Amino acid sequence: MSVAPWLVSAWLFAVGLYGIATSRNYVHGIGCLTVCQSSTYVLLLSIGYSWGAGPPIFYDHPSTVPAVDPVVQALVLTDIVVGAAVTALLLVIAIQVHKRRGSLDPDALRPMRSQP
Amino acid sequence: MTARWRLGLFAGAVLILTAAAGVIAAHMPAFGVPASHYGPAVNAIIPAARHATNMVAAVNFDVRGLDTLGEECILVCAATGAVVLLRGARGESISADAGRVPGRAVLRRTDATVILCRIAVSLTLVYGIYMALHGTITPGGGFQGGVVIASGLMLVYLGDGYALWRRMVPSVAMALLEGGGAFLFVAAAAIPLALGGDALANMLPLGQPKDLFSGGLIMLANDCVALSVTGSFGLLLLEFMEETRSPAEDPVPDEEDP
Repeated sequence: MSVAPWLVSAWLFAVGLYGIATSRNYVHGIGCLTVCQSSTYVLLLSIGYSWGAGPPIFYDHPSTVPAVDPVVQALVLTDIVVGAAVTALLLVIAIQVHKRRGSLDPDALRPMRSQP
Repeated sequence: MTARWRLGLFAGAVLILTAAAGVIAAHMPAFGVPASHYGPAVNAIIPAARHATNMVAAVNFDVRGLDTLGEECILVCAATGAVVLLRGARGESISADAGRVPGRAVLRRTDATVILCRIAVSLTLVYGIYMALHGTITPGGGFQGGVVIASGLMLVYLGDGYALWRRMVPSVAMALLEGGGAFLFVAAAAIPLALGGDALANMLPLGQPKDLFSGGLIMLANDCVALSVTGSFGLLLLEFMEETRSPAEDPVPDEEDP
């Protein structure tokens, strides 16, 4: 039971990796990358969790009440923000590739092959 | 590399990953027991030391404030890079006319859509601002509030159309918000440094706990980040929408491959 969160995280990462390996479209590949990334959210939040603890926000209960680890939650926030920015950048690059080459299929885009 | 080879390589990688994940999962600290002393220490010390009640915001903007400064710079750089890439291929010119697919009928928006969007815009903006301002005391903060505000701006486009959206959300204003917010955050880090203290040292009055103006620098940094995130995401949405216009309306300088 106590290994379940780690296995869920590994499973999410593997699913995203499978999507990237078999992707036939870069937009789909970018979506798969965000699935890979969400495995890190599960991992970080699982590390910070403790049984019977509340949220690390002491507005309506005093700070002596047990609370989960706020450091990993802040890390997840960083993770999400940077992930969103990088996803936007990748999508822009995908748009440019589509404009120049008219395709987003990785198999049709061989950069080192001379154009026919 | 053919698809078959790639799948074979992936299968090998999964075998290694499965074995490694199994070993690591068995050696991870027990689930549900605090693994480090850092988080519990923050929970024990910061509410009294900083008069803040949202520990996540306190970690982001006070305890590990310098890391968030780096994160903010990553966000600004990525947004700027995306805008430069899009504009580089399209040119600087912007237009208030939406792109049209030839032959597709343009349907009028119904009054219900317009009125619902106008109500939703005001509520979303107020909620986003509330979230950003109260980041020190309740769940939320600058990043979350900024994203809520930026997505609220998209509702103007949905309800009142492209032209009005472009008039209400000028790209210069978004760029100023993005750069200005980041600049204020850097200034908040640099001013204590210039006064002989540590970077991002919390020298402001801390205020009463659970009060809007509590936490000193935490609230200020939160609001700088909210401005910057609003600008970044607003600018990104705007540049992506500009992409929907057909290239014929805006001839691109000829730098394509021959």
